[in-house]
Amino acid sequence: MANLKDIQRQIKSVSNTQKTTRAMKLVSTAKLRRAEELARRSRLYAAKMNQVIAEIAGRIKCHKVGGIDNRCFAKIENPKMVDIVFVTADKGLCGGFNIQTIKAVKKLISEYKEKNVKVRLRGIGKKGVEFFKYNEVELFDEVINLSSKPDKGRADDFIMTSIEDYNDGKIDGLYIIYNGYKNMITQELHVNKILPVDAEQFGCGEEQTSILEIEAQDEGQMLDSLVNKYVEYNMYYSLIDSVAAEHSARMQAMDTATNNAKEVVKSLNIKYNKARQAAITTELIEIISGVESMK
Amino acid sequence: MDKLKLEILTPNGEIFNGEVVSVVLPGEEGEFGVLAHHASLTTLLEAGVIDIEKEDKSVESILINWGVVHVDEEKVIVLVEGAVAIRGDSESSVANALEEAKQLISDIADSNPAIAAVSAKIESAARRLL
Repeated sequence: MANLKDIQRQIKSVSNTQKTTRAMKLVSTAKLRRAEELARRSRLYAAKMNQVIAEIAGRIKCHKVGGIDNRCFAKIENPKMVDIVFVTADKGLCGGFNIQTIKAVKKLISEYKEKNVKVRLRGIGKKGVEFFKYNEVELFDEVINLSSKPDKGRADDFIMTSIEDYNDGKIDGLYIIYNGYKNMITQELHVNKILPVDAEQFGCGEEQTSILEIEAQDEGQMLDSLVNKYVEYNMYYSLIDSVAAEHSARMQAMDTATNNAKEVVKSLNIKYNKARQAAITTELIEIISGVESMK
Repeated sequence: MDKLKLEILTPNGEIFNGEVVSVVLPGEEGEFGVLAHHASLTTLLEAGVIDIEKEDKSVESILINWGVVHVDEEKVIVLVEGAVAIRGDSESSVANALEEAKQLISDIADSNPAIAAVSAKIESAARRLL
């Protein structure tokens, strides 16, 4: 029976797919654990970094005449051009992970277009870059192979261009958009406004145990240096958070795929059994009717 | 002797956390030592070596390429970008750490005249361990 053989072949193919998806899920689970650990350890650094910046910025804001003169803390009323950096994965097969980021990027672009602000798009990750290229959206620059293997040095080099352009006044804002890790089953989309830093959030810090002494010729200079590190670090953290999220999304997608394959195999098995039964019945009828006709 | 709490953090996690007797940091305007009950202070660090004196009088050296330190009465928090601890139980692991440290130095701006002094310092730190 040709039909029977077809079904058998289908069953085999689907169970092979199931094997692949299950393996991919296991790989993602292992990778997720490592990525999550890295992100967790890094968060400590972020907390302390913010604390130090807040303290110094708050101090300068409250005690220095004229406040903070760094452009990174300035309020820019009429932005002319903003940088949008997005982070997507280099690989697919992870559910809606990449498309969510892409949608958020498109939304932000159209918001700025309405306000007649130029947008400079900088992409990290093959999937996002390919999408925008296909849709003929201009990318200022692109990096691949960075989002799957976050590297501090390369991330710093990449974001340095934006920091320099910001300080030169070429751009008036910087956003980083990425899909971050929330827990094993959910990802959280982050649209982070990195520059200008909102100076309002820094208080004057009165709870100091003793008078803070800043040992640099110019505390503004120290703030400059810190802000650069702050932006660089934010970029790096976005990358590692994104990797963790990518693996969790893939793990989930592959789990669903495995379950779906299981369902398909089940229904194909029923179909196969029915077809086999039908074949046997037909054969029996043929024999019986043959015998009958000889009588 | 009074002790102070020292935390050294890099973007990839903590590399030192514990009670120490004193710590010497490579400040932007010169090296300075910190003992317990030091007055509050925040400053930038340049490429150099952090020397930590622990309770058992042993000294641990950590090479850094950039950092910022926040000192208050009870604790010292050092945020660094890249760091290599010169430590290890065997000759080969110390040699590895030394190699890594040299790599880190060569990555830092080569214009810095203090680099030679730094690399001499880490070598002496490594020798002390062997």
